[in-house]
Amino acid sequence: MVAQRVRTALRPPPILVGPAVVTAVLALLPLVYLGVRVAEGGPGVVADVVLRPRTFELVAASLGLAATVTALCVVLGVSLAWLVVRTDLPGRRMWSVLAALPLAVPSYVAAYTWVAAFPWLEGFAGSVLVLTLVSYPYVYLPVAAALARLDPGMEDVARSLGRSRFGVVIRQLRPSVAAGGLLVALYVLAEFGAVSIMRFDVFTTVIYTSYRASFDRTPAAVLGGVLVLITLVIMMLEARSRGRAAYASRSGTPRRPTPIPLGAWRGPALAWSGLAAALAVAFPLVSIGYWLLQGSSTRLDPGALGQAAIATLGVSAGGALLTTVLAVPVGILAARYRTRFAAFLEQSTYLVHALPGIVIALAFVFFAVRYAYPLYQRTPLLVLAYAVLFLPAAVGAVRASVMQSPPVLEEVARSLGRRPSAVVRTVTLPLALPGVLAGAALVFLTCMKELPATLMLRPTGMETLATELWTQTGSGAYGAAAPYAALLMVLAAIPGYLLGRRSH
Amino acid sequence: MRRLLATVLASATLLISACGGGGGGGGEESFDDESVVIYSGRNKNLLGPLIDKMKTATGVNVQVRYGDSAELAAQLLEEGDRTRADVFFSQDAGALGALAKEGRLTALPQGSLDKVPAKYRAADGTWAGVSGRSRVIVYDPRVLPEQPKSVFELTDPKWSGKVGWAPTNASFQAFVTALRVVQGEEKAKEWLTAMKNNGTKTYPNNVGILNAVDEGQITMGLINHYYWYEKVAEKGAAAVPSKLAFLPGGDPGALVNVAGAGIVKTSKHAANAQKVVDYLLGAEAQKYFADETKEYPLVAGVAVDPGLPALDSLKGPEIDLARLDSLSKTLDLLKEVGLV
Amino acid sequence: MLVARNITKRFGAVEVLRGVGLTVSDGAFAAVLGPSGCGKTTLLRIVAGFERADSGSVSIGGRSVGDLPPERRKVGIVPQEAALFPHLTVSRNVGYGLPRGSRERIEEMLGLVGLAGFGDRMPHELSGGQQQRVALARALAPGPGVVLLDEPFSALDRGLRSVVRDDVRDVLKRAGATAVLVTHDQEEALSMADEVAVMREGRIVQVGTPAAVYGTPADLRVATFVGEAVVLPASASGGAADCALGRIPVRTGAVAGNGGTSPAAGHVALRPEQFRLGHPGDDRLRGRVERVEFFGHDAVVTVRLPQMPAPVRARTAGEAPYHPGDEVGVHVEGAALFYREG
Repeated sequence: MVAQRVRTALRPPPILVGPAVVTAVLALLPLVYLGVRVAEGGPGVVADVVLRPRTFELVAASLGLAATVTALCVVLGVSLAWLVVRTDLPGRRMWSVLAALPLAVPSYVAAYTWVAAFPWLEGFAGSVLVLTLVSYPYVYLPVAAALARLDPGMEDVARSLGRSRFGVVIRQLRPSVAAGGLLVALYVLAEFGAVSIMRFDVFTTVIYTSYRASFDRTPAAVLGGVLVLITLVIMMLEARSRGRAAYASRSGTPRRPTPIPLGAWRGPALAWSGLAAALAVAFPLVSIGYWLLQGSSTRLDPGALGQAAIATLGVSAGGALLTTVLAVPVGILAARYRTRFAAFLEQSTYLVHALPGIVIALAFVFFAVRYAYPLYQRTPLLVLAYAVLFLPAAVGAVRASVMQSPPVLEEVARSLGRRPSAVVRTVTLPLALPGVLAGAALVFLTCMKELPATLMLRPTGMETLATELWTQTGSGAYGAAAPYAALLMVLAAIPGYLLGRRSH
Repeated sequence: MRRLLATVLASATLLISACGGGGGGGGEESFDDESVVIYSGRNKNLLGPLIDKMKTATGVNVQVRYGDSAELAAQLLEEGDRTRADVFFSQDAGALGALAKEGRLTALPQGSLDKVPAKYRAADGTWAGVSGRSRVIVYDPRVLPEQPKSVFELTDPKWSGKVGWAPTNASFQAFVTALRVVQGEEKAKEWLTAMKNNGTKTYPNNVGILNAVDEGQITMGLINHYYWYEKVAEKGAAAVPSKLAFLPGGDPGALVNVAGAGIVKTSKHAANAQKVVDYLLGAEAQKYFADETKEYPLVAGVAVDPGLPALDSLKGPEIDLARLDSLSKTLDLLKEVGLV
Repeated sequence: MLVARNITKRFGAVEVLRGVGLTVSDGAFAAVLGPSGCGKTTLLRIVAGFERADSGSVSIGGRSVGDLPPERRKVGIVPQEAALFPHLTVSRNVGYGLPRGSRERIEEMLGLVGLAGFGDRMPHELSGGQQQRVALARALAPGPGVVLLDEPFSALDRGLRSVVRDDVRDVLKRAGATAVLVTHDQEEALSMADEVAVMREGRIVQVGTPAAVYGTPADLRVATFVGEAVVLPASASGGAADCALGRIPVRTGAVAGNGGTSPAAGHVALRPEQFRLGHPGDDRLRGRVERVEFFGHDAVVTVRLPQMPAPVRARTAGEAPYHPGDEVGVHVEGAALFYREG
């Protein structure tokens, strides 16, 4: 088979570049904020903060944690995706839904349930366990999607040439594995709640300490800048591991692969999938049930619960929609155009992804009170903050799904007389739609459990399931927290179900 | 294509209607210019019922943003003159001091300030303590029948790995400040280093320490007294085997911290904001804190929960709780020892 | 009419097109034939507007299109592997370039490619050949100034290929379309096109009818590229050349023929069909059969001659009554191509 050109030499059309620039500017706003705050401190403060031995210690701790969690997520995510999409694993549909569900579990809730049940579980090991369990879907989902669209013919060819099937699949999956791994790594770097409950000090610990103990935003901004630099390095590594692989499937619809019989491996495969689901989904659910039964604060306020649920669904849907709309032009450009500028636009959406939520939230406070005061502490601003926080997941999903269809289709469409905007509308997007919607569902799930930005930017008086959960656990009222946690997981199961079902 | 468009439009409509519903999530709580906005670092479960009473008692319409005290302080600093907040109700004095230092709080009238003993309010009158909480040692009587008497016992090698603390916690840092002021920098550093070398375990907050003692993970921990009472209320006394030791004899570990409130300088509802603060310093609110959270009322004439030692009997060190320069020295010390 | 003049294009340090010109008159079917990497696909992409030439001009139907985006060039594309829109029915694929409600035109085009009644199918329900015909209908539907076919048959099974080729040529002729086929397959180019442009290293080295390109290649490399040939060092004089096979007449009028009287050093090229095999003894030249490849309509016999360093492949019509090891006489028929050294 002749290698497909994956990118076109056509100049990126303004209809894509314009909106993509808007997206990039929004995504880079927090950097401007960091710059303002760092400039306030001057070089003395920067040197003082950066050169402290503890800063190095904690950078190392954060990187070690991110690397370990990412590696484990890749193992777990890729193996589950392969079992669910390619094999005759019994109950594949159920497993595919269960595998996406952990996204609905806020990391701090997961961490708390584990510590409560196994108090000896703490530090590095405990953090690795909890973060792997809540974030492996970031690898599982794109890999499952890519596997479902891969041309099984390639595997057959490889097998006939005597090469291991898994090796070929892995090579083809490299871009989606790299993209998912990047999300996991940045997510872990930005994580604070779970690691602090696990009593493991990482880089974000110093950032929070800077706000909490010294009420000083400058050192926090300097440290945020260090995180951005680390992100840059990680992104360069990811770009290298993603490689220049052209992985468009053939232009025709790939035939459905025949499930690979597991045979004697069926038992171990079931045990593996079951273990993942038990640890990542069943365990938090059982813990929540336990809170419900044990806590004397247990009471059900259906009104408050319903309002929080509606508010959560509203802002999360808004967040998912806006994020996706902002991500589409960037994702298409990244998938189709080789220009430096397109690469820059894409990377800009990732750059602030390792910053803890509070930094992003403060950046939005900073800009909104100055330049968008009427929006301040209104839903649209919160939704916009969600978009900046979660753009990478959506951009990655759009890019991957656009790359799955060959660009020759768009060229043909152009030569048939359609303008670039019409081609995006009638060819690029419809073909990428399943992947784009999957990205939107992913963002939706992530918005539902977001806390720091929600606390700062929500309209005064509005409560989401996540803020209620925070309120209840904050006063030790785990019984009262249980219904919110449970409802959060139930609601998340819907997009989780859609995401999981897509791989069939 | 039509289907896609329809999907997008439908979700947009859903979004807008949901935002309407969400934005007005509290029904009558939707934003209006006449309400007094409180930024509260105190938990909604605790404050919510009191706010309802407050509305009835004062006739002032009140909206509350709940958050973490320090994060709210950072937010207030970031908002500057354009904040919508009128009152800041903080979990600890440090956050209030940070705002006062930046000139973000206005002085309270002397009449309000005088209700509170001088040591529990700002020297410049920008905030007043609303309730007090004592630092205590929570201990496991199953392991330690005698209650501990001083924080200096905790460095004993026999408690190696058996003590918990929360160095990033504001109350803990206030305690370290007290330690510095009372015992001197050298002694404080010595104690912190000894604690660290003794394998003292770090927790993110007081609740984590308390749970660890109850579960037998550690034998003692440094916390605020009311967390224990909250847990007993939630889980029942049987589920909370630990006990509290209020430390005698001016031990730094007996420091009394306060939660307090101040009025934001740019408040457009200064008169109503004043009513809110006065309500918090009034008998009804003071009794509420005493009864509901087992905190110490700071205004004279309101009874402490009978289960607690009297406020006067607590011989904690006397320090200015909001002195940020002092707080920042504490932070430097904690950094030097490698705890934050 | 398609006119491309003096097109140049580089990708970084690589000069892909070095002044390419191509003219295809209205209704004609031209083929651009060249090995992979010769720049032919780049030329096609420049004509279609997917790449911009560094210099040179392209006009279609008398209109200069060099500065126009692809959608305004009126170019139809039939890519490799058809590249039908997988999410659209056959009808909607064909109608993609037409205004809304062009039902009749769609039916007409489907009829033209012999797929009337297939309109409601989805692309994956069609065979490879059917997909390719839909792609052709789709490209022809808006009445393009030129249709570009980019290796359109390379993904098809060999057996299917010649049938689809005939169909495509037939449809293009009936539609009266001006068409350019880009291919590396000389058999495809020679059998389908009215005119063949041979491309090499970014240049067009020969343009002519299939017979001319095959019969009188511009140089030795074209000779060996457009068809199989036995190449031998030779010295030519007086209308004939001396080589390992003896003295062979040289084709008169050949591009590189030899008009002078003094002997010229060079190479002769002979086509497999110029070798006639017979009983040993009848001929001056003798060899031993090494291998017989039977193709049905003809056969290729590989013969080793003592005076030759490499064996000769001879094409015989019908069945070849030879077996490996047989001794055969070899006779060269007709004139050889002669190319002077350098």
